[in-house]
Amino acid sequence: MRKALLIAITLALLATPAMSRVRHIVTDTIIPERIVVKSSLFGITLLNNLDTYLSNYNHKGLGINFSHENFRDARTGNYRWKYQTLFNATLGYATLGNNIQYTALISQSWSGYHPFKVAKGLTLLAGAQIQFEGGALYNPANGNNPAAAKLRTALAATGMVIYHFPVLRSEWIARYQVDIPLAGVMFAPEFGQSYYEIFGLGHAKGIISFTHPGNNPSWRHTLSLDIPMRIKRHSTTLRISYTADIYQSRINSIDCHIYRHTFALGFARTIFKIKRENRMNNHSPY
Amino acid sequence: MPKKILTYLFITQILFTGCIDGEEFDNSCNGNFEALWQLIDERYCFFAQAQEEFGLDWNAVHDKYKPMADTCRDELILFDILGDMLKELRDGHVNLTSMFGTSYYWDWHLQHPMNFSDSIQRNYLGTNFRQTNGIKYTTFPDSIGYAYVESFSNNFSINNLTLMLYNLRECKALILDIRNNGGGMITSAEKLASSFINEEIHYGYMQHKTGKGHNDFSAPEPLYLEPSEGARWLRPVVVLTNRSVYSAANHFVMIMRELPNVAIIGDSTGGGSALPLNSTLPNGWRVRLSACPTLDLKHQHTEFGIAPDIKVDITSEDWEKGRDTIIERAKTLIFDYYNKKEEQ
Repeated sequence: MRKALLIAITLALLATPAMSRVRHIVTDTIIPERIVVKSSLFGITLLNNLDTYLSNYNHKGLGINFSHENFRDARTGNYRWKYQTLFNATLGYATLGNNIQYTALISQSWSGYHPFKVAKGLTLLAGAQIQFEGGALYNPANGNNPAAAKLRTALAATGMVIYHFPVLRSEWIARYQVDIPLAGVMFAPEFGQSYYEIFGLGHAKGIISFTHPGNNPSWRHTLSLDIPMRIKRHSTTLRISYTADIYQSRINSIDCHIYRHTFALGFARTIFKIKRENRMNNHSPY
Repeated sequence: MPKKILTYLFITQILFTGCIDGEEFDNSCNGNFEALWQLIDERYCFFAQAQEEFGLDWNAVHDKYKPMADTCRDELILFDILGDMLKELRDGHVNLTSMFGTSYYWDWHLQHPMNFSDSIQRNYLGTNFRQTNGIKYTTFPDSIGYAYVESFSNNFSINNLTLMLYNLRECKALILDIRNNGGGMITSAEKLASSFINEEIHYGYMQHKTGKGHNDFSAPEPLYLEPSEGARWLRPVVVLTNRSVYSAANHFVMIMRELPNVAIIGDSTGGGSALPLNSTLPNGWRVRLSACPTLDLKHQHTEFGIAPDIKVDITSEDWEKGRDTIIERAKTLIFDYYNKKEEQ
């Protein structure tokens, strides 16, 4: 009897992890899947820069661009929201006559969207975005004003249209995104203020300006196409994109525009944050 | 709901997103002429002083040079026309730079006595002088230190200046010769000046343009200088100047004249009291112009020079003998100072 009891206890102990695994699987099937799409793109950028702090005339040139996007279902709100983080970096070289102007800009945005299914395969998303951008335009030939620093943050409205459509028995995804900054703050020296006064002497009063669409009419459009590749059960897609990043400001009588038209190519990879068995139930946060 | 949001985004974009573009001057002779005239009109900071000093009328300058620009068909000729127009400002900080060269206004020092000769200076420096980051210095037989600062283009380190002052430590006074110093970095001028103070001083003001009007200026902000973290020289200093002392060197004199135990002797400085900024024309030519003026403690501009405490020119007799009248006068001033001190 005692022997039988020992065997029963041993079996029960051995069985516990297995039973707990079973419960876990059951639990997993209840929680909705959480899917993340990560993409990295490299591109060529056509630049058109104007900053009257440096020069009253447009400098045109080329640049290279890297962007990394993370688009995922949000845990909050019962997975009805989508989150996007987007990092972008541009290095460029523009000229006017013999003058050279270098461009170095990085930006990061955090967006939250609510999706609206409007038709089969067609989803609209609307939300809000926090933008941050830093960098500089640098004219080495300008003696005491060689650079115009760019530092800004803004709250933006953002929208997306996502369309799934079949092509040759696979599903392609076209996406259009628009971001429009509505209110924010930016570094803005006065009309003839030198950086020596600001950073050398500490005469930094009033160098932060409030921005709104009246003095900072900017927007960013992105059009992309995801083409599935026969790798890892469609979890990787080839992404082709075009981005028009139109940054403009008119503050303290200093006019600035940085027009970036970027043609980029890269890969987007879908990552499933659940167990392997559920991968068969394959869908995208798009 | 989504339609409303998209409509709002679209309307916001249409309403608020006009294009912000550059100036609309074309890259022609006339376009570049108008662009340069307007650039100076909006950004140059000394119109009021130039009008008071020599009656400058910038609109009249436009009318004078426009017919020349209208008939100009050649870039070389345009460069001369634009360069001549800029010379009307009589400002050494205003230049036009193209592939052909740079236009300068030189009269701020060429119409005045040179008051400096490097040949004569050799008679004083000798061959055993020391040099640290462009500053040549030596000790005269009568225990007077002599340092020649040719330019403020070099970024002096505290170690450079400390070493120099350490090597001159036995001297009872220092002759600081900045003649022919055409400027360079204000920060270098301030670093050198900070070696001659023992506590923070207020020595002037700086302002900048806040708009395109001729009189749109910010309120003057005070300029302070903190003492050097390295060696400090608190004995008498005589600063030697001539008309070729310009820009950052003029700034240096503006600071030094506020210090006790410092005398400025020689000729007036050349001026150039504003920080110059750069811009470009539609054809890519670069323009430099005075933009951020500095003021002395009495809120006066020093754009046209700073008068010395004692005016001395090198005499033609001394010139022939290889004697530097200004250095000799500085030595006499130091001897007199110590003689008076002993009498007291």
